[in-house]
Amino acid sequence: MDKIRRHLLLGAASSLAMPILPAYAETFQYDLKAVRIAQNSYVVIGKREFFTKENGGDIVNIAFISTSEGVVVIDTGPSQRYGVALKKLIKQTTGKEVVRVYNTHFHPDHCLGNQVFKTQDIAALPKTISGLKVSGDGFSDNLYRLLGDWMLGTELTIPGIPITFSSEKFGEHRFELLPMQGHTDADLAILDHTTGVLYAGDLCFLDRAATTPHADLQKWYEALKSLRKTPHKVIFPGHGPVDSTDRSIDQTDQYLRWLEGQLVASVKNGKDMIEASQMSVPPEFKSIDVIKDEIERSVAHLYPGLEEKLLPFVGQGDG
Amino acid sequence: MVLNFKMWAGLIQNFNTVILNRSPSFLALAAALVLGAHVHGVQASELPKDSVDSIMWENVAKQFILSDQEGSDKIVMDDRVQVVAPKIAEDQMNIPVHVDARGIENVRKIVVIADLNPLPKVLTYRPEKAAPRLSFRIKVEQGTPIRAAVLDGKGVWHIGATYVDAAGGGCSQPALAHSQNDWVSTLAEVRAKIWRSPAKEFSTLRVTIKHPMDTGLADGIPAFYVEDLVVKTPSGQRLGRLEIHEPVSENPTLTLFPKIKGSVDHVVLSGRDNEGNLIKVSVPAPVQSSHLQK
Repeated sequence: MDKIRRHLLLGAASSLAMPILPAYAETFQYDLKAVRIAQNSYVVIGKREFFTKENGGDIVNIAFISTSEGVVVIDTGPSQRYGVALKKLIKQTTGKEVVRVYNTHFHPDHCLGNQVFKTQDIAALPKTISGLKVSGDGFSDNLYRLLGDWMLGTELTIPGIPITFSSEKFGEHRFELLPMQGHTDADLAILDHTTGVLYAGDLCFLDRAATTPHADLQKWYEALKSLRKTPHKVIFPGHGPVDSTDRSIDQTDQYLRWLEGQLVASVKNGKDMIEASQMSVPPEFKSIDVIKDEIERSVAHLYPGLEEKLLPFVGQGDG
Repeated sequence: MVLNFKMWAGLIQNFNTVILNRSPSFLALAAALVLGAHVHGVQASELPKDSVDSIMWENVAKQFILSDQEGSDKIVMDDRVQVVAPKIAEDQMNIPVHVDARGIENVRKIVVIADLNPLPKVLTYRPEKAAPRLSFRIKVEQGTPIRAAVLDGKGVWHIGATYVDAAGGGCSQPALAHSQNDWVSTLAEVRAKIWRSPAKEFSTLRVTIKHPMDTGLADGIPAFYVEDLVVKTPSGQRLGRLEIHEPVSENPTLTLFPKIKGSVDHVVLSGRDNEGNLIKVSVPAPVQSSHLQK
């Protein structure tokens, strides 16, 4: 959808709907709070939900580290409005300017706040940048559909710095940049050597079901293994609470392996996608929010690939 | 490829589909319907109220149900016709649908329609020696009712429907195959398996065919889709027959429930696409007996 049409549609929709709009829609203000998790290190924790017009896409975890050279930001949120609120919170909390922004991967809840920062300060893995160039506008259209007016003014901003180096130092903080894959084909984990905080992006979820629209499960298991081996004190997952016991690695690994096992068994037993979605969730995953919805989404993402792998080849037409 | 007799026959048989492929004609037809053109003798007021309140119900009934010479003009909404699909499409190119009409006696055919698709007709299934149910996946252009019109032995149409919400663009996006250079080399590859148990009257046949299923609505890519698929016994008895249309997803993946009897140890799947490429494969149908496996 082109932007003008998008804005016209939103304008028309909001003027028609005005008398019955609930209170949140009149303000569209994100209520962001910074929580200190280590020296100079703050996080903003998103709701453990899917995108809705109620939460405005405030479902993602963001971090910022206040160094003597300026502030380092990890991910930017789902919209321009979120970016504005985040920038204000960073200023209030640290009193400093932003010197570096990292995008951990190309999903829209992590990147669409980019536009309030300077393009030349935003760094991401090369495949994150190419992924955003191909899919970013589509992601943005989809969030306009899901979030409505929360998205007004949001434009895709492509990171200006491809990460081809393995670490960066700002003031007393040295950040090790760990290129991985599995959740998408380019997932950046960041270890702050000064504090021991490991920012895992969406390689780790905690008590919020992992999402799989661009997942490669075998690579994801490998990434979780190397995260486990990376020396750290605390993990900050892409969704869910701060984790000091590696529960986010364990739970993400166990959930994905269980899910894959269920889907493989379903293909082998002749089930279609709808039947495969109707699996019952074992008690150990009861703490995981939105698990039923994410299972249904994951079946849509992963089932066709498993069918192609597991159904036997019987012949080819004369094409 | 040289045009052969079969292709011309196919084109004539699918005259209606061909018209719908050409958007100006389709638009004209749609406009005529919206203006209330009289397609059939039945008045809109005689139609039962649609269970999903589709704005297109009257037109869909006229264009795809009442105009069908095989059936009568008697239409009933019937919750014994179950159409199951996700409420919200995760992938508008690949929405799983299951239609189950086992509650209806002597089902002659099942016609599946996505009301708000630019090409609404999805498929027609004749479960000749098969349970009247099937699974498949479709692409949609926007949120739409998906309905099954089931024709019974007395010529009565039984309608079941559901609504799927979706982001836009499934029908007018190019197939993913076009982003791969080698797609032609895997064209019409068939993967299939039959689950057959002596305890069950009907077996489960799952089949997936590599095919872009181009609707003709994506820029510069003509319609190219599998339009016909038949399941037969080795001696040629038909078990089920599918007429497939453009909205069926890329790499059509179907579940059918044929009745495979006695010493029959495989079934033959044959079909063709709208460019005349032929598919003919046999699928083993071994009896999986639980006591034998132990």
